[in-house]
Amino acid sequence: MSLERPDEREEETAVEERSADEIGELLGDNVIGREEHINAPAYVIRPDAVQETLSTLKSEAGYDHLSCVTAQEYEDRYESIYHLKKYDDPTQEVSVVVPTDRENPVSESAEPVFRTADWHEREAYDLVGIEYDDHPDLRRILLPDTWQGHPLSRDYDQNRPQVVTLREHANPLQEDYKAGGQDSDTMLLNIGPHHPATHGVLHVETVLDGEQVANIDPDIGYLHRCEEQMCQNGTYRHQIMPYPDRWDYTANMPNEWAYARAAEALADIDVPEYAQVLRTMGSELSRMTGHFLALSTFALDVYGDFSAIFMYGMRDREKAQNILEDLTGQRMMYNYFRLGGVVWDLPEPREEFFEKTRDFLEDLPQALEEYHDLISANEILQMRTVDTGVLPPEVAKEYGATGPVARGSGVDYDLRRDDPYGYYDELDWDVVTEDGCDNYSRLLVRMREVEESAKIVGQCIDLLEEWPEDDRTIQSNVPRTLKPDDDTEVYRAVENAKGELGVYIRADGTDKPARFKIRSPCFSNLQTLPEMSTGEYVPDMIASLGSLDVVLGEVDR
Amino acid sequence: MTPLQVQTFPEAIAAMLPWSGLWVDVLSALVGTFLVANFLLLNTAVAGPWAKRKITAAFTDRISVNRMGPAGILTIPADAVRLLSKEQIIPEGVDRPAWDMGPILIPFSALLGFAVIPMGSGIQVADPEVGIAFAFAASSIASLGLIMMGYASNNKYSLMGGLRAVASNIAYEIPLVVTGVSVILFTGSLRTSTIVAEQAQPLVTLWGVSIPQWFAFVNPFAFALFTVANLAEVGRNPFDIPEAPTELVAGYQTEYSSAYFVLIYLGEFIHIFLGGAIAATLFLGGPAGPGPAALGIVWFTAKIWAFYLFTQWARSAIPRLRVDQFIEIGWKGMLVLSFANLVLTAVIVGVLA
Repeated sequence: MSLERPDEREEETAVEERSADEIGELLGDNVIGREEHINAPAYVIRPDAVQETLSTLKSEAGYDHLSCVTAQEYEDRYESIYHLKKYDDPTQEVSVVVPTDRENPVSESAEPVFRTADWHEREAYDLVGIEYDDHPDLRRILLPDTWQGHPLSRDYDQNRPQVVTLREHANPLQEDYKAGGQDSDTMLLNIGPHHPATHGVLHVETVLDGEQVANIDPDIGYLHRCEEQMCQNGTYRHQIMPYPDRWDYTANMPNEWAYARAAEALADIDVPEYAQVLRTMGSELSRMTGHFLALSTFALDVYGDFSAIFMYGMRDREKAQNILEDLTGQRMMYNYFRLGGVVWDLPEPREEFFEKTRDFLEDLPQALEEYHDLISANEILQMRTVDTGVLPPEVAKEYGATGPVARGSGVDYDLRRDDPYGYYDELDWDVVTEDGCDNYSRLLVRMREVEESAKIVGQCIDLLEEWPEDDRTIQSNVPRTLKPDDDTEVYRAVENAKGELGVYIRADGTDKPARFKIRSPCFSNLQTLPEMSTGEYVPDMIASLGSLDVVLGEVDR
Repeated sequence: MTPLQVQTFPEAIAAMLPWSGLWVDVLSALVGTFLVANFLLLNTAVAGPWAKRKITAAFTDRISVNRMGPAGILTIPADAVRLLSKEQIIPEGVDRPAWDMGPILIPFSALLGFAVIPMGSGIQVADPEVGIAFAFAASSIASLGLIMMGYASNNKYSLMGGLRAVASNIAYEIPLVVTGVSVILFTGSLRTSTIVAEQAQPLVTLWGVSIPQWFAFVNPFAFALFTVANLAEVGRNPFDIPEAPTELVAGYQTEYSSAYFVLIYLGEFIHIFLGGAIAATLFLGGPAGPGPAALGIVWFTAKIWAFYLFTQWARSAIPRLRVDQFIEIGWKGMLVLSFANLVLTAVIVGVLA
């Protein structure tokens, strides 16, 4: 079932699918109940059979992608939901629900089966308070170690001050621990949270053996705003949409789609085709802005602070951003999507908008040529990036890596094609993969994806230009107050610039979500950093971090 | 002992004074060095806060400083005041005398190297027999400053930067000097004025234009080698490993602010100019150029600025090497090539002579 080579794509269409009952049979006695989520069948299992269930699903039914772990607290129980998918066909989903009682919220950890569960379960522990047996390292992940209580649990006191003196914080240098036993000459180096190459507030605890990385532990949470809780306090119709822009703040618009897709599935809202084309175009332009920034900051990491490439990348990002500004009125926090459509039609005069966009697309091949001259064709850059930061495809899947990171490892996985939404399946474009598995491949994937995005935008422009004037509905008829049915649950993901951005919503019959969970692609991608960098030189670790293109706003949420 | 071939700058000043005696020699030496050092500091002042920004901006499609004075030139005094008025932060646990001496040593060593450089128009502070060896020796005192700064800062990034600086200086100084020696084989003298005078002789005459025997024309391979080693010596891309801002924050200078920061930057720029000056002296005929000999200082300045421009260009366009690749290129590539060049030159010179 390897997907390394594109010519095996034929096989992929024939991924064996089991019916819900067959899966239930497969899991046998471990299942203690069945639920129906909007996106997938859900099996309630015993809390001590998590590993067994997941490994059965993984090895025998082919569910090799643990997309997300959602934790939540009900009045009578805690619940962890493992959202499983297949890399070969992400439309085949199954949810595994693990209830635990309120007094003793302990369930078995999924980490031995899926490596990615490590961070996801730590987050669940941190924010909700479920404990996982057998977890290798159950510490808080987003909040400081000294935090009292679990913010998303029901009895959490919002008003309790969390004042902690500096003295009480853990001193990362307290024990300059040795990676290779007492005699080794290792040194702990704190890279970040304020460091030129961490692209935001990321703290990487690095144990160095000379110039080489002996051990590495990314410490996140410096930009944590509990976006999930903020979304839970907003109404579906209007108050949540501005938040997704603040997750991945370099390529904002596809994030809005993640919420729109989940909420529209939950409330059963249709989107007019014309709005779908607008959404597709906006998202792809936005994806380009993200990739330009990723490219140029990667150049900063590898070339140095005075690299010309950074400004070249900014120049092209600016052009795309100007078009998006014309479209949405904003340069960063677009807030362009609405449930059931988008907020504005194209700006008048339309011809001018089309012309501007076409000019941008026409100049693009030349600009990309320039990048290839400056970056990918440069021998020193190739020396620096080829075969460094290697992430084999199996490992990438273990960690739930998606987006350009997975595609740079030859994993042919793109939700725009594999789980189509919007107008993508009507358009002619290709999913880009590279087999190098290294920093260079990830760079190339982004550069080539810009070309694909340009293809999509070009086709959208053509469609929009010829769209009949009396059929330009930008929003379907959506009630003023949305109250999805009580106890409906949905998990839906879209492909944003960094990978699979998923949103889980549980409705409780009110106009606000009872639980809003964000599956951030950067969160999972960043988890692969230790795999890539252990044993490599510090500069390669920095380059790998740049090639992962994490946006801390999305990692920390 | 060969007599001094040219009158040095302090001697020229002494000759202009109506008195004589030891104190006149001392005074004229002080005045001479004062003038030369200030000329260089002036160049650095233009290069650091202004030209660097303008050049980098030109490479990266930007405008950069343009608010104060014509083309933003008055940003130089503004920046000087700004930098010097910042707080001098002295972190806890720094190793005091060493920590303070490092930043002073760097500009000092680079300025010292200029003492033997013939800058044209009769400006040369001293012309000892060991000339060019002195210039190399003086410029490598800077490594000592870098180690002191890296070690005394009590910062792991500084320590790593200091270690890298030492590694790079050892690895690239040898090829640099060995390549320089290949020029000495032609001239038979270490004296800088002799090296320059030697290059004034015509190499060939093409269409009535006499091409001088600049060693860059005689041995372009050595010149290329020297330029690359020089880039490493001054720590510019692709060899800016010791600083490597995206890896080591700022390497050995992470903990320095205010006046010390200025001193370090000053030293770095004078160092680039010294690198250009040594390259000009060895390979580009020193202050030679078309027109009367009095224009020498103009040509000399143009040559060191050309090297400065080159370092900035490399900075904008070339990726940084990884530290192990950097050392590997130094020891396995540059060193071998420079010795090959030396042997080859020796054979050619031996056969021709």
